[in-house]
Amino acid sequence: MAEINSSTGAAPSILSIRSLQKSFDSVSVLRDISLSVERGNVVSIIGPSGSGKSTLLRCASFLEHADGGDILYDGEYALHNGVYAQKAELARFRTRFGLVFQNFQLFPHYSVLRNVSEAPILHGENKDEVHARALELLKKMGLEGREKAYPYQLSGGQQQRVAIARALCMRPEILFFDEPTSALDPELTGEVLKVIRQLAEERMTMVVVTHEMPFAKAVSNRVIFMADGVIVEQGDPKEVFDNPREERTKQFLRVFER
Amino acid sequence: MSLMTMIVKMSEGLGKTCAIFFLTLLFSLPLGMIVALLRMSKVKLVSAVTRFFITILRGTPLMLQLLAVTYGPYYLFGATVARNKLIPVVIAFSINYAAYFAEIYRGGIESIPVGQYEAAEVLGYTRIQTFMRIILPQVIKRIMPSVTNEVVTLVKDTSMAFTVSYQEMFTIGKQIANSQTSFTPFVVAGAFYYIFNVIVDYVMGRIEKRLDYYR
Ligand SMILES: Nc1ncnc2c1ncn2[C@@H]1O[C@H](COP(=O)(O)OP(=O)(O)O)[C@@H](O)[C@H]1O
Ligand SMILES: [Mg+2]
Repeated sequence: MAEINSSTGAAPSILSIRSLQKSFDSVSVLRDISLSVERGNVVSIIGPSGSGKSTLLRCASFLEHADGGDILYDGEYALHNGVYAQKAELARFRTRFGLVFQNFQLFPHYSVLRNVSEAPILHGENKDEVHARALELLKKMGLEGREKAYPYQLSGGQQQRVAIARALCMRPEILFFDEPTSALDPELTGEVLKVIRQLAEERMTMVVVTHEMPFAKAVSNRVIFMADGVIVEQGDPKEVFDNPREERTKQFLRVFER
Repeated sequence: MSLMTMIVKMSEGLGKTCAIFFLTLLFSLPLGMIVALLRMSKVKLVSAVTRFFITILRGTPLMLQLLAVTYGPYYLFGATVARNKLIPVVIAFSINYAAYFAEIYRGGIESIPVGQYEAAEVLGYTRIQTFMRIILPQVIKRIMPSVTNEVVTLVKDTSMAFTVSYQEMFTIGKQIANSQTSFTPFVVAGAFYYIFNVIVDYVMGRIEKRLDYYR
């Protein structure tokens, strides 16, 4: 890890990924992906369907087993040359990130409050404190008074905001979003993007896979364009969106022009 | 023999009918879960062997299984046949029903989206916490209708105990029918099973209703 810091002397990136490789049955889905995410930054990942965006987030959150490369959180190896840390250590790493799924994955048999608060309580935190924090988060998500509701009683947009509150209640250092608005009716995407934008303003570190280009352009510190398992182009959102260098990027963005 | 006498005599066997019923549920419901987990084991040999036993238990008549458990030890090892037939009867019923429940559980467990496991994993739930808190409650809700079906069938299946002359209600009825050359005991037995199942339906309905608070 020293090698990352020695040149700059700065604190290590919250997340750095180096030469990440992943294949499904000999089909290479991630080839040599490298990126890092600095504290307080928002990184958007865009790219055509099937380019490996979800697989990347799933590898970073240990839901998928990468075949090679490194994953470091705060300069500590969770994956080193394709070898994962011990189970107990991975559990510790897991507390550093949160993941918001495309289709929410709330627990249908739990009330909103229990969805949000159970995990930290199981981790041994004080129940009253967790409940207070959960209610605070729900309020922030615009869900005040809905804590007793069950997921089926909520709209998709509300469910996704509960899912965000659930992830935040674990107090992660970094939050991953995998197409958080793709399963929503168009009129409901706004309310979810609004809370993500609010989190960005509070300097929450986030990696957002999205097809919402105006949102990505407005909110991100950096945009990554992926295709066929590689990072084709990355940089300042204005550069990538207004002045893409790569032909592949131009081609992809043209579809979103009108 | 008057109808009243028949009813009284047969109802003396109801305790034994209930014993088969409740003891079978007591053992087969949890045993079925163990069998289901073995059946879904990632160890190929374990799941294959379990699957084989399930197909045997589901593919052969319960009556044969009752005979095998009750008299098998005698024919195989010359062991004395149990004086209290309740033990072999409950063993045979429990194993047989466990096989059916196992398949119901397996269907229920496999119907829960992988995303539920993944959401729990990312939130740091252990595997046991995930199963007990997230998966199992949803499974129970989903399988209630199938479980109800099996329970209703079990009420009627208790009559199979006559094959090993265990003195439950139907066996007594059958003996009366033979000695009196009368069909009436069978009508009485039918009425008893019907009433029993009305109660079962009511109870299961209440349980299903209690699980109705979410979708
Ligand atoms: N579990 C899996 N088994 C086999 N192939 C998979 C699996 N998950 C994803 N893939 C394949 O990997 C590729 C990348 O998928 P994904 O990461 O979901 O892309 P994206 O999120 O960018 O649409 C696709 O070709 C997909 O079919
Ligand atoms: Mg995807």
